Amino acid sequence: MPGYWFGDVEAGSCTPFLGDAREIAGRVRTIRTNMGSFVPLDWELAVSCGFCHDRAEYLKKLREVCFAAAERDVREQYAGKDTELLHMVRTLDEMDTVINLLSERIMEWYQIRQPTFSRKYRRTPSHLMVRKIREKSRGALGNVAGQIETLSAARTDLAKEVSSRANRVLPNTSALIGGLVAARLMAQAGGLSQLSRLPASAIQVLGAKTALFAHIRTHTPSPKHGVIFQHRRVHNAPRAVRGRVSRVLAGKLAIAARLDHYRGVADPGFIERAQAKIDAAGMEDKS
Amino acid sequence: MKWIGEVLVSPGEGGVYNERMLGGARVWDPFRSKLSALYHVGTGIDLSSPMRVLYLGAANGTTVSHVADYTETVYAVEFAPRPMQDLLEVARRRENIVPIMADATRPEQYAPLVEAVDLLYQDVAQPDQAAIAVRNSVFLKKGGSLILMLKTRSVDVRKEPAVVFQDTLDLLSTAGLVILESVWLEPYHHDHAAIVCRKP
Repeated sequence: MPGYWFGDVEAGSCTPFLGDAREIAGRVRTIRTNMGSFVPLDWELAVSCGFCHDRAEYLKKLREVCFAAAERDVREQYAGKDTELLHMVRTLDEMDTVINLLSERIMEWYQIRQPTFSRKYRRTPSHLMVRKIREKSRGALGNVAGQIETLSAARTDLAKEVSSRANRVLPNTSALIGGLVAARLMAQAGGLSQLSRLPASAIQVLGAKTALFAHIRTHTPSPKHGVIFQHRRVHNAPRAVRGRVSRVLAGKLAIAARLDHYRGVADPGFIERAQAKIDAAGMEDKS
Repeated sequence: MKWIGEVLVSPGEGGVYNERMLGGARVWDPFRSKLSALYHVGTGIDLSSPMRVLYLGAANGTTVSHVADYTETVYAVEFAPRPMQDLLEVARRRENIVPIMADATRPEQYAPLVEAVDLLYQDVAQPDQAAIAVRNSVFLKKGGSLILMLKTRSVDVRKEPAVVFQDTLDLLSTAGLVILESVWLEPYHHDHAAIVCRKP
């Protein structure tokens, strides 16, 4: 029984679908067409079916149904909670780049205005320098410094939002390495479903593309860690065991990502066992 | 096809993608659109007002808008949500475009919506482009045409484009399509070829 969007056609007789565009769009999705014996529809069937009067009306109705279906599908595609998180992480990383670039630039500029000023032997963090420049400079320089501070504040807010959103979208992964790093991993992989399909060895070096390809091409030592280095248990680990920690951590992350993708809720039992394993890997005198 | 001197244009409402206007018609740039490039380097299929077209790989609706200027109805199939949003905006202003969000490799997804067409136009970045064209040729009327924009680099980056081109031609003729024309789109698009076929 060939089903078309406007109705079911059966040996000469035809039952039109009733309902508005959205309902018809919903029904079109359930039609199972067998392409082996498929014959493309003839729009005049819809007229003889009593569905419409002429071609203009046929196209008008068809377009309404197709728009409803496409808008529904686009919405469903974006409903995957990771899509927005992806953009949030990328925005965060770009803000970091912009803030660093601008800070460097205005410091150079400030040095021209203050010939006695040098950054040597000073431990002033960059954001405090920016504040000092804002307070001491008039005109455009002070203005730009103020803008950098505003941008930094927005960046802090965004980072908090990324972190809390990641705790919801990636509960297991976030429990192991924290929301921000979990979100970065997801963004590097290109989405949660992509991350969940990666082997642990790939997760371990995600974000270390340059080092990885240098290793493959010119046999430099292989990278031990990529994005996951940002996690304290990796960068605080003694050098000797850092590789082991990141390897074990990556192994557990691969499982966590799959739990997040396919189950979507935190698994306390898994998290506890994984944490113990990762902590054990960080013990230096493990024989 | 409408030419003003050496420039290909299409009659319709402008401003879709900031295209230039010439004599009240929209300039159809061969560097942006592979179909326009085909009309510049080869013959192609003349688009005419009674034509119904199935367009696979509609993307942002740039080329679709030009095709719709010439033809009666365009069924525009696109899979990705981001370009689909742009395509929907184009289709809202051009009443002969039917936007369909579906996967061109799975014609059963849109089989209940699409009628028999005079022209099948395909421009998709997939490895099995010939197979997709053959699978979708069920929508073609007898004597209808297929224009396949072959992205050789999407088929297999390790193979020579010329080899991919020949393989695709073989696959299409084995499937019973008659090849009318096959040209490279140099200098407008690199490693892209256009293949024009007829369904006997």
